[in-house]
Amino acid sequence: MTDAPRACVYLDHAATSWPKPPEVIDAVVAAMREQGANPGRGAYAMALAASRVVFEARRVCADLLGVPDSRDLFFTSGCTEACNLMLKGLLSPGDRVVVSSMEHNAVSRPLHALQQLGVRVDVVSADATGTMDAADVERAVRLAPTRAVVCQHASNVTGAIQPIADIADIAHENGALLLVDGAQGGGHLDVDLATLSVDAYALSGHKGMLGPQGVGLLYLRPGLEARELTQGGTGGGSSEDDAQPAGRPERYEAGTPNTPGIAGLGAGGRLLAANGAEWRAEEQRVFRILKAGLLELPGVRVYGPALDAPTVPVTCITHDSLEPDRIAFLLDRQAGVAVRSGLHCAPWAHRTIGTLGTGAVRLSVGHSTTETDVRIALAALAEVLG
Amino acid sequence: MTRQPRTFVVFAFPSVHDTLAAEDALKRSGVPATTIPTPHELGELCGIAIRVEPGHASAAEEALVRGGAPASARAEITDL
Repeated sequence: MTDAPRACVYLDHAATSWPKPPEVIDAVVAAMREQGANPGRGAYAMALAASRVVFEARRVCADLLGVPDSRDLFFTSGCTEACNLMLKGLLSPGDRVVVSSMEHNAVSRPLHALQQLGVRVDVVSADATGTMDAADVERAVRLAPTRAVVCQHASNVTGAIQPIADIADIAHENGALLLVDGAQGGGHLDVDLATLSVDAYALSGHKGMLGPQGVGLLYLRPGLEARELTQGGTGGGSSEDDAQPAGRPERYEAGTPNTPGIAGLGAGGRLLAANGAEWRAEEQRVFRILKAGLLELPGVRVYGPALDAPTVPVTCITHDSLEPDRIAFLLDRQAGVAVRSGLHCAPWAHRTIGTLGTGAVRLSVGHSTTETDVRIALAALAEVLG
Repeated sequence: MTRQPRTFVVFAFPSVHDTLAAEDALKRSGVPATTIPTPHELGELCGIAIRVEPGHASAAEEALVRGGAPASARAEITDL
């Protein structure tokens, strides 16, 4: 057994997609090699080329996500920063939020920090599959004036898809905002933000959206302004003004952007626009083969929605006698199957499904996963579990 | 060969993003335009603006409005 990298069956797409499509890698390289100037600053040819890369990537992502005006979509360093901007920018001491019990630390930790400042945080439990019941959310929202409902689009632990459109209606009928962590939604679901009626939606750029690590997105609906987390240079007019520009997207994008990352995300968005429906269908087919196989393994408990229920291609398992960390280690070292054990930065979710004390092994499928991959993984798992 | 100074019309926009949207709208409408550093005549010292020949100024303004990217300021400059 060695630590040397090797060809593997990669089943950790919920963490980050891999391998990145060649078009994404080419776009990243081109951004560094040919469009390496600072975007949005100078007006010489290479600076304009870089600016156009960012502009086009924003438009591609807006079109893909059903955002009519691309100015409402901001680039961030990732979904975590997007969640922080969404929560810290919109919530103030004295506000009350209702939040699902399935949230990732990217949401629960900013909320904890806000709680220290006087934001009241009320958690609504999901069921054992990790799915929220909109009626439970409605009951909680009606208990007291609520500034915002915070809910993920899909779980990074069980794959459960939350009833976001229903929760949006409930929030809005009660004068609250709906703020969504869409880390597991982008690319794996056909996300149409106009239809979902969300007020804010945070996205990872490097998971289902297929971009490189270090880039994410935040959508804020028109008319809803957050306090920006960072002030600084934006390159445009009014540089002499001490105040951060109010216009979008610059208000929320101080400092030099991650042009290579944004370029790669734009390339990922173009691929999804062209192939997304077909890729999602194949992801679902392969994932169901995986999950069906897991359900047949003796001593294995599979978490998440029923086999035929809607889900993103993520699930997790525990075993009667073998610990999750041992399973993940043996799968990797014996068979080159890459999965992740532990709490997946989502202790709330693991508490909800009853695995906070043990953790679990997460298996997640993506655009590159084949039926052969999941059959190799299932055979390896059967052998590891003996 | 000595270049003679010429007059151009320059349009400014609220942000770099808006300027690029304007550049795109003009391109789609077939109006010749050049993206330049914002000239001081527009009251800004940073950012980018769009320069057109005076004879294309009206067509540019129409294309910008049609494309949802109207200018926030307009000036005439002398340039080479």
